Amino acid sequence: MKHIGNQTALILVLGFFTFVTMVPILWAFLISIKDPIDAFTIPPKIIFDPTIIFHIKVWVELGFWSFLINSVIISLGTVVVSIPIGTLAAYALARIRTRHTRSMLFGLLTIRMFPHILIVIPFFMMARFLHLFDTYLVLILAFVAMNQPFTIWLMRGFFVDIPLELDEAAHIDGCNNWQTFIRVILPVVRPGLVVTTLFSLQLAYNEFLFALVLTGSRTKTLPVAIAGFGGEDISYWSMSAAGAIGISLPILLFVLFMQRHLIRGLTLGAVKG
Amino acid sequence: MMKWQRDLWLFAAPSMVLLFLVLFYPIASAIYTSLFDYYLVRPDDKAFVGLDNYLELLSSERFWSSLWNTIIIAGGAVALEFAIGLSVAIGLYNLRYGAKIFTVAMLLPLIITPVVGALFIKWMFIAQWGLIDSLLASFNIFGPNWLGNGYWAKFTVIIADAWKFAPFMILVLYAGLQSMDHNIIDAGRIDGANSWKLLWHVMLPALRPLILFVLVIRLMDAFRFFDTIYILTGGGPGTATETITMYTFSLGFGSLEMGKASALGVLTLVVVSAMIAALGYLIYRRERGAF
Repeated sequence: MKHIGNQTALILVLGFFTFVTMVPILWAFLISIKDPIDAFTIPPKIIFDPTIIFHIKVWVELGFWSFLINSVIISLGTVVVSIPIGTLAAYALARIRTRHTRSMLFGLLTIRMFPHILIVIPFFMMARFLHLFDTYLVLILAFVAMNQPFTIWLMRGFFVDIPLELDEAAHIDGCNNWQTFIRVILPVVRPGLVVTTLFSLQLAYNEFLFALVLTGSRTKTLPVAIAGFGGEDISYWSMSAAGAIGISLPILLFVLFMQRHLIRGLTLGAVKG
Repeated sequence: MMKWQRDLWLFAAPSMVLLFLVLFYPIASAIYTSLFDYYLVRPDDKAFVGLDNYLELLSSERFWSSLWNTIIIAGGAVALEFAIGLSVAIGLYNLRYGAKIFTVAMLLPLIITPVVGALFIKWMFIAQWGLIDSLLASFNIFGPNWLGNGYWAKFTVIIADAWKFAPFMILVLYAGLQSMDHNIIDAGRIDGANSWKLLWHVMLPALRPLILFVLVIRLMDAFRFFDTIYILTGGGPGTATETITMYTFSLGFGSLEMGKASALGVLTLVVVSAMIAALGYLIYRRERGAF
């Protein structure tokens, strides 16, 4: 007796809502494959000759490929540091049960809620002082710190799901902590590790404030590049939209690949979908 | 607790050391800087001013208006997202099949790069050439100046945030509904409750911890949100959509007043901490065992 109401009406309403949600994305996609002459007619044209010239222009001629490389280097760099140390800490926080672990977990949650703008100012001054401005290193460092609470909370959720008896059995068999972790626990938690890694990649790929402040011409990431490109000037719209759509493609793959785990990732593991 | 468990603290060390260096040192340094009159371009004129930066901010109209804007925008956006989220989640819950397809499609705005999402919304609302204005124009209606009028700019920013984050509410509330015990709903129905009564007296109370959780998370995030406003309005027109974060950004990286910007950052931290403490206390007292 779970279902109530008229199914057809429900599908129509939800379908309409989904369509409205998609309209901004579809509209941007249409702009990106339209000649500006067709793009700005009133009412908007539905039938036109599609072109991919703007996609090619923005990625090749305007050098968005180099920003893509920057984004990839910084995202991968972040994950390479953030996942190992975060996973270790998560395991510790899942297995040690004292008042201190509780307050540390709460502290991490507080860091997650921090106003980033407060941290970005001293980071900017520090980066200038240490001559690290516009380097990959400084942005990776910032992203790693920013991602730690997320990584730890999410991974901890996966570790908690593993019964303590498994660790104890390993210890009885003569494993030390490190061996237990590497040989026994880590293999069990591998799916969780993949989910956490992909989420961390996505967070680093999408981050804007730190990237805006800490990068210059050499290490500019895709979000900073597209933001600086301007949505104002209509003659640039087609190219700007092409860039925006291109940036979204990896995210699209991410959603399709991760749909089962999205809820868990988006709520720091608080809701297990 | 066994010895091996106590020894595990070592595993947490690298992460904690890094967090300390990369987060706590900058915060300490921000608090220190906030006590100085410090223009980035004139580092030699750095002068200790005590709490002057704070006093100046607290007595300036711009600070209070930015705080007010933050409250209106964050509050309005989260309220709208919750209303949409709950209705759609209930809709999905009552759907016999196909819910999965809808959720995957609805999720896109949430996962998309925030800057890109903001641009998508901008191309909808931008004056004259945006989709909304051009659709309205084909009916000979001329829409308001979505991004150029103070009130409408706030409205547009709220819509943009809702577009991006309503899916979050939908997703979490839908998951909550699915994991709910069906027996209590059936019991309510047998007792003769209609759908509204079921929703109000059975389903919502059962979901209350989850609802509090999403509201708190979203409120915190909305309170510091930056990307969307930066792209849509840059805080304008004038200072109509300037939130605390936007104001801090323009102090720090527009006029390069590092001391004053740090002071504003610290004030933001105080406001956010007070919010966390108040909400935490509320939830802890009323929802024991909710987390």
